Amino acid sequence: MSKGERQKTARERIKEQQAADRAREKRKRIVTYTTAGVVAVAAIGAGWLWSFSQSKSEEAAAPLAPITVDANGSVVMAKQGVTKPVIDIYEDFQCPACKQLEEVSGQTFKNLAAEGKAKVVFHPITIFSQEPTRGNSVRAGAAARCVADGKQWMAFHDLLFANQPSEAAEGFKVDDMVSWGKEAGVTSPDFESCVKGQKHANAQISFSDKTGKEAKIEGTPTVKLDGIVMDSQVIFTPQELREQVTKAAK
Amino acid sequence: MIALPVSRNARTAIPWVTTAARLVLGGVLIVSGGLKVTKPWDSVVAVKAYRLLPEDIATAVGYVLPMLEIVVGVLLVVGLLTRVAGAVATLLMFAFVFGIAWAWANGLRIDCGCFGGGGELAAGQEPTYLLDIVRDFGLVLLGGWVVRFPPGRYALDAALGLTGSAAREADARHDEHEEETVR
Repeated sequence: MSKGERQKTARERIKEQQAADRAREKRKRIVTYTTAGVVAVAAIGAGWLWSFSQSKSEEAAAPLAPITVDANGSVVMAKQGVTKPVIDIYEDFQCPACKQLEEVSGQTFKNLAAEGKAKVVFHPITIFSQEPTRGNSVRAGAAARCVADGKQWMAFHDLLFANQPSEAAEGFKVDDMVSWGKEAGVTSPDFESCVKGQKHANAQISFSDKTGKEAKIEGTPTVKLDGIVMDSQVIFTPQELREQVTKAAK
Repeated sequence: MIALPVSRNARTAIPWVTTAARLVLGGVLIVSGGLKVTKPWDSVVAVKAYRLLPEDIATAVGYVLPMLEIVVGVLLVVGLLTRVAGAVATLLMFAFVFGIAWAWANGLRIDCGCFGGGGELAAGQEPTYLLDIVRDFGLVLLGGWVVRFPPGRYALDAALGLTGSAAREADARHDEHEEETVR
């Protein structure tokens, strides 16, 4: 160490001390800032993962339970001999929340029926009262009524939801629906003329009015378990949905 | 940052305005996030309804939005990472303004109300686009203020000595004290 360095003035030493303090403060600030940032991002990430896990759909486990299309337009999916508990699903092909329900819990309904744990009844109704949504919904509902085979109906039902049009524009055009029908494996020879001629449009409307009144449907999707409306929290959480239905089956 | 030639009154008022802006903006975010966080699918449906984003991205955004709003809101209220939180909040609000304007311009009748609302706005009931835009734009301005003048009074940032401006403020206070003692 040189002589000059040893002879530092007190002032210089204080300055150095201050600089060191400042550097330490700065480090501390960076650590605190980073910690807070990491915690905040982790909280957001955790919330995100939680939402995703809540809404995780089930995998297709078994072939579908037998499906029968009722003359009135409702569709029953149940293993032979399974009569309860009954899950009633009231949905509108044009309703975005119904599409979301199908995406999240559609497979759970199918699995529950396939496992013989429930009898699932679909009620495709038209809930909308204004154009263009009403027209879209009635066209889709009427087209679904042109499919008599249960398996084909289910495939067509899934395709309708997958191709749900905007609520702001005319959609579910008959030509599109005819090609979706082919995609769904609809074999009936008069399917095309039935869809294009909108043969069942009136049936769809009267069925919707009747069902809406009788079942006291205020919005779609509505899901009932043995006649009691299920909480939307439950129906959008496949795991909880399964638990409640399984409990009712006992 | 540029030091503005501001009066002493303004200098005492500005941090309080920031605090008020933080509380309002943070409060709105916490409430709106809180209403959504237990029903993430609602948020997903709402984001999809705008038809601005591809399905998968809309789903991801819908799921992340509630928690993001809550966390940013809490940060603003307590005044932690104030400037970053303020910037994120401003961007969020700006995105909402854009989305609503988009919906309006494209004639979407959003607020699907698929739960108990009959699936659409009742006949004769119009979406409240203008009101929504004015409100959200006001919140954009509050966010801008927070970004410009962080962190305000009663902020954790200041207590933890996190912001440069907080450090400067401490210096300023120190100077004032010195002046006073001198006087």
